[in-house]
Amino acid sequence: MTSEKSATPGQTMIEFKDVHKYYGDYHALRGITATIKAGEFFSLLGPSGCGKTTLLRTIAGFEGISSGVVMIDGKDMAHVPANVRPTNMVFQSYAIFPHLTVAQNVGFGLRKDPRSKAEKDAAVAEALEMVGLKGYGARAAHALSGGQRQRVALARALILKPKVLLLDEPLSALDKKMREQMQMELIKLQRQVGITFILVTHDQEEALVMSDRIAVMFEGEIAQLADPETLYRRPNSRKVADFIGTMNFLPAEILSEMDGKVEVEAKGFGRLTLDAEQVSSAPGGAGASIGFRPETLTILFDGQTATDRESRAEVVEVVYYGDMTYYDIRLEGTTEPMRLSMRNVFGRPVLDIGTQTRVAWSPGALVLFR
Amino acid sequence: MKGGWFRGYTIFYLIFLYAPIVLLPIFAFNNATTVAFPLNGFTTAWFGKLWDDPALHHALKNSLIIGCSAAVISTCLGIFASRASSRYAFPFKTPLMGLIMLPLVMPDIILAVALLTVLLGIGMPLSLFTVILGHVLVCTPFSIAILSAAFQSLDQSLEEAAYDLGETPISAFRLVILPLVLPGIISSLLITFTISLDEFIMAFFLAGNENTLPVYIFGQFRFPQNVPVILALGTILVCLSIALLATAEYFRRRGIAKTGGKDTGGFL
Repeated sequence: MTSEKSATPGQTMIEFKDVHKYYGDYHALRGITATIKAGEFFSLLGPSGCGKTTLLRTIAGFEGISSGVVMIDGKDMAHVPANVRPTNMVFQSYAIFPHLTVAQNVGFGLRKDPRSKAEKDAAVAEALEMVGLKGYGARAAHALSGGQRQRVALARALILKPKVLLLDEPLSALDKKMREQMQMELIKLQRQVGITFILVTHDQEEALVMSDRIAVMFEGEIAQLADPETLYRRPNSRKVADFIGTMNFLPAEILSEMDGKVEVEAKGFGRLTLDAEQVSSAPGGAGASIGFRPETLTILFDGQTATDRESRAEVVEVVYYGDMTYYDIRLEGTTEPMRLSMRNVFGRPVLDIGTQTRVAWSPGALVLFR
Repeated sequence: MKGGWFRGYTIFYLIFLYAPIVLLPIFAFNNATTVAFPLNGFTTAWFGKLWDDPALHHALKNSLIIGCSAAVISTCLGIFASRASSRYAFPFKTPLMGLIMLPLVMPDIILAVALLTVLLGIGMPLSLFTVILGHVLVCTPFSIAILSAAFQSLDQSLEEAAYDLGETPISAFRLVILPLVLPGIISSLLITFTISLDEFIMAFFLAGNENTLPVYIFGQFRFPQNVPVILALGTILVCLSIALLATAEYFRRRGIAKTGGKDTGGFL
């Protein structure tokens, strides 16, 4: 899949313009508008049924769209079938051809390649080496382990040097350890080949670890498109906040808004002034609330003082994780327990249930949902 | 004791099922024209007689022509139907597939009489061709049952992966789908051939002046002196059927193993 002129890193590689997809009456994609840049590791993240796989398949050409435009590298894909699109896919099931050897699988896409057999064999060997399967070429594909199938699928797709590599939940079938190892390998591989990777996943941690940017999808719409840090620190709605990691919500009352600053009152935190950028832009439904991550509160031990603000609280639940301890605490004057996490550094005690303590926090780490 | 009862029942059932078939070769090698104990002596004369019976050879030739044609046609139809039912969703799919599978449980004689009425009505002369038509009707459901399993055990992404890697729908089918369902196709060919070879009612009604092997055998029972010859022929047919079905089952299982699917039955 070579082309005259291709987008250079940072330029637009894929563009969705108001893409809709219906299955009968079911509205699977509801006006997707987004751009994916060349050389980017981009993730489509969302719960099952949110349309993320459908969107990926519209890029591959396996799924037609009902209206809108899908462009790849500046070309409208409306009448371009899957077999000539400059994309290749790693399927969730890996779709390794069970009747062929590893080398035949990897070289499958080279059938119409004008190069000589020796050159193709060299390309296959190179691709296998890239994914860490050097010397596996002669093996029967159906005898491979899950992790090896995954690597064969990667090599088979990358050997064609596509402009875009599509990965449909490629790690979901692997066990935890293998999954974490493959995450690192995929990141390295992506940097090495410089191809645009688009990953579909329902695993928020996986998306945060691997991606340059993430589109969080709910019910056929993109709820937020941002880099991992923004997504984690400044989710634009309670729904996104809930989906990415753990977030505590404390009911709050908006007192006044002036010059972009918002003054709020929340039981347990008292009166606060927040910056405009801390206010979630999307309406979050039932009343205003203050959101904060478990690690933004810190328990103060004897003699420690807060650098910013502090509140009184009671420990109501303790969960010990080895490296971390998770506490549920009840801030003074509130009823709902809030989740708080502490790293178990040397010499730091684990508190008992019922301990009265103080917690330190900073208004800058809070998000207001309205 | 519960186990004892079940064991006895099973043994009795198997004897009832297979003892008559075991008698077939016993009397086929018995040196007497009457089928009765005690046995008279060993002979292969009845098998020798099979060699010089032109009517039998003609019937056998007809049966082979019909069997091969019916096997190929019904397997082709089976491929189309199984592919359609496993790959696509279309309106009235379940009732349609049910109607196609119906000849599996419908009495053959009803089908045969109905078909005969229609053929006579449209003025088509009875011949081997009409028998083939009837056999295709009977064999296609078996073919679909075998091939549906083969097509359904295929991961749909395999075909998409082939498109994704640059193949057209036709070349993807040839390079990926066909090799993977080939064991199922062979299994279907062998089983439908066996069914057609054994089939009597359709052939009896639709063959006109022609004879097929089962019709010939039926006719021979009018002559008591020919019974041992028929038993010899029956012995050969039983062995042949077992060999064909065993081969078919071997291919069916190999196909499932190849695609890494789970074995969900089959006919053997």
